[in-house]
Amino acid sequence: DRSSGTRVSDTELRVYKDPSKGELPLLPEEHVQDSAKDVTYICPFIGPVRGSLSVTNYRLFFRCTDREPVFGLDLPLGVLSRVEKIGAATSRGDVSYGLACKDMRNLRFVHKEPEDSLKKSVFEVLMKFAFPVSNNMSLFAFEYKQVFPENGWKVYDPLAEYKRQGLPNESWRISKVNDHYELCDSYPAALVVPVTITDEELRRVSSFRAKGRIPVLSWIHPESQAAVVRASQPMVGQNGRRCKEDEKLLQAIMDANAQSHKMFIFDARPSVNAAANKMKGGGYESEDAYQNAELVFLDIHNIHVMRESLRKLKEVVYPNIEDSHWLSNLESTHWLEHIKLILAGALRIADKVESGKTSVVVHCSDGWDRTPQLTSLALIMLDSHYRTIRGFQILLEKEWLSFGHRFQQRVGHGDKNHTDADRSPIFLQFIDCVWQMTRQFPAAFEFNEYFLITILDHLYSCLFGTFLCNSEQQRLKEEVPKHTVSLWSFVNSQLEEFVNPLYVGYPSHVLFPTVGIRHLQLWVTYYIRWNPRMRPQEPVHQRYKELLAKRAELQKRVEELQREAANRTASSSSERAGSPTRSITPVQTFV
Amino acid sequence: MAFCLLYKPVLQFCEIVVNEANFVRKCIGAESCQDDLWGKLVCTNFKVSFIAHNSLPRQCTHRLLGEHDIPLACVEQVVTVNDVKGKQKILGSNQKLKFNPTELILYCKDFRIIRFRFDEAGPESAKKVCLAIAHYSHPADPQLLFGFEYVGKAYNKIYMRVNGVDPGGGLQTPLFDCSSDWDREIKRTGASEWRVCTINQGYFISPSLPEFFVVPVSLADQDLKQYACCFYSQRIPLWCWNHSSGSALVRMSNISDPQQQRKVEQRISSAITKSHPLRSDVFKSDLDKNLPNIQDIQAALLKLRQICVIDSFEESEEKWLSSLESSRWMEYVRTFLRHAVEVVYMLESRHVSVILLEKEDRDLSCVISCLVQLMCDPHCRSLHSFQGLIQKEWVMAGHRFLDRCNHLKRNDKEESPVFLLFLDCVWQLWNQYPAAFEFTEVYLTVLGDSMWVPVFSTFLFNCPRQRAEHSRDFASSKSIHLGQDQALCFPPVWDWSQQFSLKDQTLFNNPLYVGKIATCVQNGTVKTFTHRRSKVSC
Repeated sequence: DRSSGTRVSDTELRVYKDPSKGELPLLPEEHVQDSAKDVTYICPFIGPVRGSLSVTNYRLFFRCTDREPVFGLDLPLGVLSRVEKIGAATSRGDVSYGLACKDMRNLRFVHKEPEDSLKKSVFEVLMKFAFPVSNNMSLFAFEYKQVFPENGWKVYDPLAEYKRQGLPNESWRISKVNDHYELCDSYPAALVVPVTITDEELRRVSSFRAKGRIPVLSWIHPESQAAVVRASQPMVGQNGRRCKEDEKLLQAIMDANAQSHKMFIFDARPSVNAAANKMKGGGYESEDAYQNAELVFLDIHNIHVMRESLRKLKEVVYPNIEDSHWLSNLESTHWLEHIKLILAGALRIADKVESGKTSVVVHCSDGWDRTPQLTSLALIMLDSHYRTIRGFQILLEKEWLSFGHRFQQRVGHGDKNHTDADRSPIFLQFIDCVWQMTRQFPAAFEFNEYFLITILDHLYSCLFGTFLCNSEQQRLKEEVPKHTVSLWSFVNSQLEEFVNPLYVGYPSHVLFPTVGIRHLQLWVTYYIRWNPRMRPQEPVHQRYKELLAKRAELQKRVEELQREAANRTASSSSERAGSPTRSITPVQTFV
Repeated sequence: MAFCLLYKPVLQFCEIVVNEANFVRKCIGAESCQDDLWGKLVCTNFKVSFIAHNSLPRQCTHRLLGEHDIPLACVEQVVTVNDVKGKQKILGSNQKLKFNPTELILYCKDFRIIRFRFDEAGPESAKKVCLAIAHYSHPADPQLLFGFEYVGKAYNKIYMRVNGVDPGGGLQTPLFDCSSDWDREIKRTGASEWRVCTINQGYFISPSLPEFFVVPVSLADQDLKQYACCFYSQRIPLWCWNHSSGSALVRMSNISDPQQQRKVEQRISSAITKSHPLRSDVFKSDLDKNLPNIQDIQAALLKLRQICVIDSFEESEEKWLSSLESSRWMEYVRTFLRHAVEVVYMLESRHVSVILLEKEDRDLSCVISCLVQLMCDPHCRSLHSFQGLIQKEWVMAGHRFLDRCNHLKRNDKEESPVFLLFLDCVWQLWNQYPAAFEFTEVYLTVLGDSMWVPVFSTFLFNCPRQRAEHSRDFASSKSIHLGQDQALCFPPVWDWSQQFSLKDQTLFNNPLYVGKIATCVQNGTVKTFTHRRSKVSC
């Protein structure tokens, strides 16, 4: 069964229907590496449970043996960020192990040290397979050879996506200057730039922008031609360096939009941080050098602040929640405040483009963390295509993967160095913001909450190749598409799991979410899903599927009746040529 | 009726204009006045109406109220301001105003704050309309509430049924004002050891009990009459509901006579035990001890309103979650839900009957008994049964809606949003079980808002007897011939066609509802992380 094998469980302790079967549900190429009996899992919610533990090259599997019904833990090793022995062995020879996870939980096991000191403990095996990169092994994604009906690596074709946007056109061209990633190794091969700027000029601009990440088009408004452009910070430095090609490029971006003689540069950072970057050679555009451009700081904090905020959040939600101070504790994590600032920034960008018909340039420092957060959220607000399941996949492939969000560094796939300062929940924050929008516009998104949770689960699982590496170039070099399966192969082969039955499209609507703290919620079904008391008590997932089936059935009935009506009209007026064909009105769910 | 006519207020057929002022500006934005509307401010005997000069006739979705209308019953406080003289006055009824107001601020029960400016209006007419609004929003007598006029006129003019009112008959909601509704409820829950008691017909025993209620079969009418005098307001304990295990949920007021207390309590308990198929014990749940009182609840709502609409947005935004916590509103919601969960546990797992004990048995027990039934009994989660539940545990059991809503604005100490708190509890359950309820968030919001449309029998009276008396008095003073009917037929709020078209009523239906198959939902922990008082304007 394809789906049960790859689905990361959303309940911590899964109940097994048939406890007599001792076999593990293994994936293709998944092999048991070690097992141990008589391991105790210290469950923070129900207390110690005894059982057996197995480690495969993909997951950790704990099956309790002393309780009815039989249940267990089933988690991909990819979610582990740290495995460590806690304290010394007790007098009874018990050793305690703590497992910190990337998905908001910590697990603790107690286990007898093997008497034969030469034999490795199951936890030592676990450490090896949990951190394959640190142990010079390959990630499980490179071994997993499941075949799906659809090839998810074909979901995103940059040229097709730009064509959908009407590009190239008279003002914008697709440049091949980065075909071999020579201009910028963290950018995609295909770049959309103003026609008036030559490749040579682009090369000069690249030396003026951090990591060579030059201003290029992300999205263009189909009517006003206002563009969303992304970049990294200009290398202004303390002496206020200037680059005339960069100035010309920004002027060309402004000129490409006849509707406005102004442009906005959104610097995602707090102004203090942006100024501090001048010490390190970076900085921001001065309004002297860039005439008609207005610079706006969006006050979003850096990766370290976000990591710290999530750490505090985890402290507040796992394992126990202090009910009496829940709201003030949540406030003290500042997590929702950060979410608010990101959404508010994206909202300002979308508003300038839609209401002001003005082109915008978005950057932070390197343009690979806060920038994709802002551009992709603004794009979701502006373009309903990105609110469909496939459109959202294209958005992730484009704004995050092809433009080099450093997934490997931020997530730390298979890397045991859990204190790495490069780790940060940037992508998680983005998905959280999307979730907030789905709450505010329940009928505007084709996908459901389970789709978002599935993406996050496989961000860590290392089952699929999608979120591996740091850039398009690296993925090509490692031949990731050739050797691994795309997450979209899995998703698109069972779309019915991920469809929101309340979806009605709103094809031409721009979504302007309300971003006040009072309109934001903590995403409990994600962050606190391990706590049995906080779980949605009655999963609506099944109900969603029933509604979809009902809708399909009604849709079919409408078509039948229309055909019947058409036939009747045709037979009653057979002398008239051609029967009136009426357009079929889709059945829509009331919301 | 569906179209607002230019410059003229849309009146109900028994509604009269009391006063009006022209060239009034309704403030829309907080900072700038560019979105403000110019128009006429009208006070009728039902509502404060604003007719914008340059707005196109637009289809109103609410059948009794237009876009800019505020029912007088929804007005909490009338504040007049003269910003030139720096004066401000809160107006009550029959008051004088020594300055010409430049601004009128209406604080509404539903958290709206509405401002009108009189910069261009005639000073005398501005003053008069303010005084009229203040006066008419403080009715001296319940019979001055618009509902009486509305229903009374209907008898003299066209018969009500023309207007869609058909009390009871056309509704699928049981009103529990006749013994057959109670009989059906007894049968439905399998409470074979319980019977309908009719000794309070004519309200001769207890002034606040309904005419029909349910008691253990082992208690004879004669005994009940004897015990009645021991209870607060002669309230004989009321049966609410039976769990499928046979455990009963009963609500009881305090015994006022301490000498009789033990004896009466024992008699009642043993009668309840006898009605249990397992002869299980009775568990007494003291609500006054375990739950916040009505003043606490009111204080929490005032704080909640302070942070929601009165404090400056930036200030409250920054500390939103901790201020929300300090209002204690969510804490109270949680306390009620948790208490209901405990009662469910007694009924369901311990198989004992439960008596909800509250001094007057007219506030906290309404909330708890409803929550327990909603948690245990999927039947109650359909729209009509939910309405029947409110009818049974609130309206018939004598929740003092008139006093708690403070419709007469006479005694602020009695005002308390107990019903709103209940709706919030239901909303929390609804959030945790999105497929278990037939109705939607829109429905709950609209139901809450309807408290301030003083037309419905549901929210106008303190108990069934008061309703009967007032409507009889009103009928005789206005020489209305009631015919067969014993009282004026106020429409219950459940007659939704009074307010909304059938098309709009479809918004009450939850597409995720799976029917009555869902099981017990008592395993609930309240979702304290979110509280959105989303307003649906209808």
